Amino acid sequence: MATLRTTSRLFTAARPVFRAQQLRGLATIADTVTGAQPKDQTGTVNDPTKDAKIKTFQIYRWNPDEPASKPRMQSYSLDLNKTGPMMLDALIRIKNEVDPTLTFRRSCREGICGSCAMNIDGVNTLACLCRIPTDTTKESKIYPLPHTYVVKDIVPDLTQFYKQYKSIKPYLQKTTPAPDGKEYRQSKEDRKKLDGLYECILCACCSTSCPSYWWNSEEYLGPAVLLQSYRWIADSRDEKKEERKAALDNSMSVYRCHTILNCSRTCPKGLNPGLAVAEIKKELALH
Amino acid sequence: MASIVRPAVFRQSCLRLTTKKSFSTKPSSSFPAIKKPASSTLSKNAKTVAPSSVRIAAFHASGRKAILPPLPQSIDGTANEAAKIPPSNPAHGSYHWSFERLLSVGLVPLTIAPFAAGSLNPMTDALICGTILLHSHIGFDALITDYLPNRRVPKTKKTFDWGLRLATVVVGVGLYEFETNDVGLTEAIKRIWKA
Repeated sequence: MATLRTTSRLFTAARPVFRAQQLRGLATIADTVTGAQPKDQTGTVNDPTKDAKIKTFQIYRWNPDEPASKPRMQSYSLDLNKTGPMMLDALIRIKNEVDPTLTFRRSCREGICGSCAMNIDGVNTLACLCRIPTDTTKESKIYPLPHTYVVKDIVPDLTQFYKQYKSIKPYLQKTTPAPDGKEYRQSKEDRKKLDGLYECILCACCSTSCPSYWWNSEEYLGPAVLLQSYRWIADSRDEKKEERKAALDNSMSVYRCHTILNCSRTCPKGLNPGLAVAEIKKELALH
Repeated sequence: MASIVRPAVFRQSCLRLTTKKSFSTKPSSSFPAIKKPASSTLSKNAKTVAPSSVRIAAFHASGRKAILPPLPQSIDGTANEAAKIPPSNPAHGSYHWSFERLLSVGLVPLTIAPFAAGSLNPMTDALICGTILLHSHIGFDALITDYLPNRRVPKTKKTFDWGLRLATVVVGVGLYEFETNDVGLTEAIKRIWKA
């Protein structure tokens, strides 16, 4: 942690303010937020050093144990010099040192597991891959993934997302045995077709940024699941390509995509789900 | 599993409180103190300050007058079951999409051609009218499918579907009349352009 702090201090000058100003507000903050942490309650503000960089984080709070109380925004202040560079570092620090009731999912802290997907400053991203904007005059706002059912605080319920993922049969379907009896081989060119598809970690950032998925998540599969679907359609070893395509060939599963491309814009792994959906449409049109 | 069941249970009671009324800024019956302020407070302060629970604006920026507010979460089957795969229907899927794209692409030369070439062929005129008509029908149909889900408002959806069909027929007849008894679409646009 100590090394992180020094490096973060070194990089502060070069670090760009890369999160643009919040584009769309998901909530209005009431002037009287009940239960908000007064600034002097955070441990770091009590003993401010000379060059303390106090950053305020507004975090969505909702507790299922008090179902009658409305969701609210709670603000926490941290000294950025004593915090790691990423949003997840700030969240973990808040949970460890300020408010242990704050609930969020996290696991790998390096953008591999996809647990910490949340809406930070109006953009769906992984908290572990999102740098804290160093502009301390602006508050950072953290919400759960938009248009999801909230389990608690910033933990969304992804049941429907996983059910849809299961419905596309995300595994190799093959009836003929391998020619050498050992493994199914693939040419380098065929393997290349899967680049940009297999890296998806199913964090649901893209699906929950898609307005079409907001309105029709019961029937429309959403960009993440369609990208995975295309990963198996494009796989040269898979033998159920036609069945996979037939399962998508209806008015709702794919064709609620109106190429809004929020998915490609928001993907924290830099993938292009929009292109995968377009490829599915092409495959379906040219069968 | 508990995490799935629990919020759904609590949401029922939560929903009762966060109905449209409590979101609105108007005084509601759930806050009797606002609806009927005590006479003493009225006489002392003409401007009564609403309690903070009312002053707090609706949490969702777009939810103040939600047309189709989200229902409590319901999970079809168990959490481990796959979502149902709808039956394959290329007429509403891939064929429909290809047709729609062909129409859209075809509209580009059809729109430019009569003005660029300067011909007033009734055939191209009829072709433009027909393509625009179908193109807008498909476009509005996509709107209805997106915003009026059949699972939620089947009757409204049906009404709008038939309304759209009627509108398309009326516009089609209108365009036919305009083409046969009047100057036609291309000539009309030309005249308006020059006017």
